[in-house]
Amino acid sequence: MSDDLLVLDHVEKRFGGLKAVSDVGFRVPRGSIFGLIGPNGAGKTTVFNLITGVYRADVGTIRLRSAAEGGREQELVGKAPSAIAAAGVARTFQNIRLFASMTVIENVLVAGELHRRAGLIGEVWRTKHAREDEHAVRARARKLLASMGLADVEEAPATSLPYGSQRRLEIARALMLEPKLLLLDEPAAGLNYGEAESLKAQIRALRDEYALTVVLVEHNMQVVMGVCERIHVLDHGITIAEGTPSEVRANPKVIAAYLGEEPTSEGEGEAGGESETAARPEAKAP
Amino acid sequence: MRRVPAVVLFAIGALTCVGLDLAYDGLVSWDRGSKFWLHILVVCAINVLGATSLNVVNGMAGQFSIGHAGFVGIGAYLGGAIVSNLALALKIPVAALKDNLSLGQSFLLLPVALVVVGLVCAAIGFVVGLPSLRLRGDYLAIVTLGFSEIVRLTVLGISADSATNPLTRAIASLGGSLGYRGPKVGEDYLGVPSVAGPFWTVGIAALAVFLALRLKRSGFGRALRAVREDEIAAAAVGVDPAKYKVTAFVLAAAGAGVAGALLAVQRDGPGIVGPANMKFDKSFEVITMVILGGSGSVSGAAIGAVLYTVIFYASEEALHQLAQAVPAFGSVDAAALRMTLFATALIVVMLVRTQGLFGERELFEKKADDGTPKPPSPSSDDATGTAKEALAS
Amino acid sequence: MIAWLLNALAQGAMIALVALGYTMVYGVLRLINFAHSEVLMMSAYASVIAQTRLFAGFGRAGMVLSTLVAIVVAVALGVTIEMVAYRPLRARAKGASARVAPLVTAISVSVLLQSVAQLAFTATPRNLDRALAPPMWSVIVIAALVMVGLHALVNLTWIGKAMRAVAVNAEAARLMGIHPSRVIVFTFAVGSGLAAIGAVLYAGTQAPIEPTMGTAIGNLAFVAAVVGGIGSVQGAMLGGVLIGLLGEIVKRTSFSGMKDAIVFALLVVVLLVKPAGLLGQARAEKV
Repeated sequence: MSDDLLVLDHVEKRFGGLKAVSDVGFRVPRGSIFGLIGPNGAGKTTVFNLITGVYRADVGTIRLRSAAEGGREQELVGKAPSAIAAAGVARTFQNIRLFASMTVIENVLVAGELHRRAGLIGEVWRTKHAREDEHAVRARARKLLASMGLADVEEAPATSLPYGSQRRLEIARALMLEPKLLLLDEPAAGLNYGEAESLKAQIRALRDEYALTVVLVEHNMQVVMGVCERIHVLDHGITIAEGTPSEVRANPKVIAAYLGEEPTSEGEGEAGGESETAARPEAKAP
Repeated sequence: MRRVPAVVLFAIGALTCVGLDLAYDGLVSWDRGSKFWLHILVVCAINVLGATSLNVVNGMAGQFSIGHAGFVGIGAYLGGAIVSNLALALKIPVAALKDNLSLGQSFLLLPVALVVVGLVCAAIGFVVGLPSLRLRGDYLAIVTLGFSEIVRLTVLGISADSATNPLTRAIASLGGSLGYRGPKVGEDYLGVPSVAGPFWTVGIAALAVFLALRLKRSGFGRALRAVREDEIAAAAVGVDPAKYKVTAFVLAAAGAGVAGALLAVQRDGPGIVGPANMKFDKSFEVITMVILGGSGSVSGAAIGAVLYTVIFYASEEALHQLAQAVPAFGSVDAAALRMTLFATALIVVMLVRTQGLFGERELFEKKADDGTPKPPSPSSDDATGTAKEALAS
Repeated sequence: MIAWLLNALAQGAMIALVALGYTMVYGVLRLINFAHSEVLMMSAYASVIAQTRLFAGFGRAGMVLSTLVAIVVAVALGVTIEMVAYRPLRARAKGASARVAPLVTAISVSVLLQSVAQLAFTATPRNLDRALAPPMWSVIVIAALVMVGLHALVNLTWIGKAMRAVAVNAEAARLMGIHPSRVIVFTFAVGSGLAAIGAVLYAGTQAPIEPTMGTAIGNLAFVAAVVGGIGSVQGAMLGGVLIGLLGEIVKRTSFSGMKDAIVFALLVVVLLVKPAGLLGQARAEKV
């Protein structure tokens, strides 16, 4: 039996009469970089929302396994989003969701809240514990921001950052949780060829440095094919293929799904011509 | 960073408040006219407490409550009832209770009353905060309004002759539309004693401002702001929005309750607690203080409260003077005039400067992006800014 | 018994007329227009002033003319509030303040109008000539006719379609050549006019005209709108009738003093159990 961190089994989600996701199941090996792809409306982001508890799956199980052999399994379905985050699942958002009125470092510090020992009264009283916590959390946040190339803008309002920096800030915030599993929702959206190349290297480096398992929803085939070790393909909420990048690329069903939607979008170096990525939110000016 | 030990700070604060309290009596016996000003001081302090507590929910947590007066009212009735009954139980002579009580006597009555009021209101705040888990924005606002109206209408609606069980009898004993005037002593009502002078009012208001500042600057306050900005993103980084929102309601309710109790038993107080304390107008007043000062800013809300109180009495006085000069003004409804003034001010603030006087900043606090390294890719504005600074230096 | 039922239905019909204004504005703007109740109160004053000063000797015809005056005043006031206080906010609202600013403004406008009425008309209640009051059955007929008309307006006319389009998606409606701001003004106008009719019927049959009358009736109407499902026209009608019935039932029990408290309790319960109301639709946030 392989060592899987995340196991989805027969997951189904309906909105009204519409099945957004039906009977989806996959296993994400520990320490791997796993891709989740599919044409628009395939249900990729919905799967992320199901894993992180934003939506609750109607049918099926989503389990998180601990590292130890025969270790504990946690059922994520039915847990609150904050509890799932506490269990070690961090994410970024397709349409960036930073805390708008807060500075860059404050955005990251919020995610350190879980690792504090002092309660409300301790914090207001500024006990020794509380001060030590704050110190430790701040130091960690600084380190993460530095590793994301954001050290210079720590005290700037988060929404004043350029678009690419906002994406990196979201990743820094997610890492502050000290997660086991990192879900990245379209991290390459709006990046050019060179930026996408460096993103690939960055994702690998993150995985190695923080001992992460990464699941990626992405339209940019250059990134997906270049960095993912396994890829799961959805279309209209249904699994149509899974395998290594070369297997997936050769799969006739996958080609049909993409061709059926947008004939020229197949292949490397193209973002897939998706309207989702075209609707790039403008970074607000400082 | 300069740091004064908290103990020293508290000691200085406590001594100042004792001094104020003794000065109150001294000044009043020396010059009766000073009573007016001292009364304003006490009301200012109570309003600061009310605004500071509402600011935790409306400003910091971003949950818009418009039922704050409900908590203030419960605190007022409960505080008035506890203090007057406790005073009788402690055998303080009725004659003494008709007058202001001394600072020493207040220590017998207030600590118990305020702690009980704080705890009871915190518990009610917990219940009223629960809907915030399901409702947002105006829907939540309506529930808080519903809460305060239910409390007020219940007090008004149950009269002594329709009371049949212990609960309704207890509510009926609050006096309905006539207001609560303490327990009956012989033929007459005792009246709610005047216990809380500047020591309690100013002291507790200062303590509340101090605690609220600390709360805002703590990790808890940060998480609360995160929940306000984006609940889904906050939950995604492990911050449980439910816990933070409900805690904000609990803290605000406790503060409002204590403010209400102090309002009921303030020195030279009215001796009566009326259901008008819970009218929507009262909630609106506190909202005005918080928004004028700046939602989310502790010092802003406090200054808003002081400004409001000062304008309140100044307009009252101005109208009084005016009426003596021009008799036609004698019939002007002062309360309505005031509400017209403040409502207009709020509308203008929303149109011109939505964030209020201070925004979310504190007094003497720099802007978030001042004095820190600029982003590596400065916009043209920044560049000219630095160039100007270079020229100036 | 029939008289009682007739009375309860009439109460419900009047509440529904006022509730429609809340629900229509909420439909297009997602804003609880707290000032709606004050528009109602002001139009009641307009009717009583018109009736006593202008049409004193005109009998029933004078009553109809006064109602028209009330409608004109209400429409003018409602549209002014939208253009002066609400619209500028929509142009520049952003971030967390975008959610709170309209709410604060709406509450402030309500308080402002009530205080102005207090100053201008004093708290002394006035009364419409009860001799000219419409009989209870006609209240129901008038309200029913108005609601059928409104239903036709919303479902059969171009402007009604435009209203529904703006309610679903203002941005898309704009792309289809609809001017959302004109539709919004029209919505305020219709809602305010309905409130004026409700106000005159109310004041004519039972309630004294005073500055706080708006809050008293407005609260009932607002609860009706929420219970029925705010944003839904049929919901407001259903909610109005339910609240009217509930009020009349409570009046006959020993809790009659608690009538308004019970109505509010109902509101809280409905919001908690079924926030979208009986006929409303829930909206989910897209992540």
